[in-house]
Amino acid sequence: MPSEETKERIIRAIDIGRTVLHYGWIPFVIYIGYTRSNPQPSLIKLMSPLA
Amino acid sequence: MAAVSFPPPPTIVDAPAPSSSKQSAFSAAVSPLANAYNRFSSWRASLGLPGPGTVENLGKEAKQALATNFLLDGARADMTKVLSVEPAFQVTHSFQLASQSMPSSYNLATVFATQDTFMQGNVDNEGNVTMRFNKGWSPSHTSKVQGQFSTTPGHNMLQLEHDYLGSDYSLNAKAINLSPTDGTGMYVGSYLQSVTKNLAIGSEVLYQNAGPGMADFSTSWLAKLSASDKSWIGTAQVQAMGILQASYWHKLSEKVEAAAELQLIAAPSRRDAIATVGAKYDLRMSQLRAQIDSTGKVGMVLEQKIAPTFMFTISGELDHFKNAAKIGVGVMIESSSLTPEEMGMVPQPGSVPL
Repeated sequence: MPSEETKERIIRAIDIGRTVLHYGWIPFVIYIGYTRSNPQPSLIKLMSPLA
Repeated sequence: MAAVSFPPPPTIVDAPAPSSSKQSAFSAAVSPLANAYNRFSSWRASLGLPGPGTVENLGKEAKQALATNFLLDGARADMTKVLSVEPAFQVTHSFQLASQSMPSSYNLATVFATQDTFMQGNVDNEGNVTMRFNKGWSPSHTSKVQGQFSTTPGHNMLQLEHDYLGSDYSLNAKAINLSPTDGTGMYVGSYLQSVTKNLAIGSEVLYQNAGPGMADFSTSWLAKLSASDKSWIGTAQVQAMGILQASYWHKLSEKVEAAAELQLIAAPSRRDAIATVGAKYDLRMSQLRAQIDSTGKVGMVLEQKIAPTFMFTISGELDHFKNAAKIGVGVMIESSSLTPEEMGMVPQPGSVPL
C-alpha cells in the first residue's frame, strides 16, 4: 500500500496530466497534422473557416 | 453441426536429447498437454470459423440504417476543410443553433489519421474537450484512449481500451476513470466467439468499484446470428437486470436496407418496451432514412448531395401521441486546398470546359 504522501503525489500528477491533455490535445493534433500533411498547407488555410 | 473428425495429431519432432533428467521429466509431463492443445487448435482452424466482429460493433448495421442517430434538432452547419488525404488531416468548424433542447454552440474538430494511428480532438465554445486516440500495433491488436475534459469539475472521463481480434473470436478490455491510488473505476471485459459459421455468442462482464464496499459485478450475454452471405444480421444482448436489446438488419437490395430494434426492460420496478422499424434508401445523390417506433414517433432524414462538396440535410420527427415535433436542417460544406490530382481524383469528363 503506498503511503499518503505518494498517493497525494500520484493524484497531483494525474491532475496535471489531465490539464495538459485538456489544453494541449487539440494543438497537438493540429501540429502533427500540419507537419505531416502532404503537401503542407498554409497556416491561414488551416485556421480560418472561410479561406 | 456436422460431425467433425479430429485430424491426426501433428507429429512432434523431439529436440535432441535434453541435457538433464529434470528437463525431460518436465517435457514428458507437459507434452500430453501441448499435444492436446495442438490438436485442439488445429481442429479449431479446420472448422474455418469467421471472425465474429467486435462487441462494440454489435448491432451497428441496424443503427446505421435507422434514422435515430441521424436526426437533427434545429439548424446545423458543418464546414470541413480537407488539408491532406494521405495521411488524412481534416479540420471541421461546426455551428449549431435554434435547438429545442440545447443552447447554440460552436465546435471545432480536428482529425488526423494514418494507416495505424487515429487522432481526433473536439472542442466546443465552453472549452469542453473530447479526445480519441487509436493505435493499431498489428492487424489484431488495437489500443484506444478516449477522454473527455470539462471546465465544470466532475465531468471528466478517461477510458483506456484494448482490442484483440483472433481468427474466430474477439476480446476487449476497458478501464474507465480508473484511479491508481484506491482502485476505483469501472472495468469492462468482453468476449465474442464464433460457434458456427452463422452464430457467435459472447459475454460482457462489468465490474464497478465506486469506493470501499461499493463494488458491483454485472454480466450480460450476447448473441449474433448472421446469414452466410451477410445479407442479414440479428443480434441480441441480455443484461442481468432484465434488460434485452435486440436488433435485426436486412439488406434487401443493393440500395435498400431495412432494420428493426427492440429494447425491453423487465425489471421488477419498471417494465417498458420500445420497438423501432425503419428503412434506408441509398439513391444516386441522396440517402433517405425513415422509421416508426412503438411510441408513435415517425422520423425521417434526407441527406441530399447537391454537389460533391455540398450536402444538404433535412430531418423531421413527429410524435403523434404527445403532439410534438422536431425538425432540423443542416448544411455540410467540404472545401479543400488540394487540386483534384493531389486528392487522387480523376476530373470528370463533363466538367472539362469546352
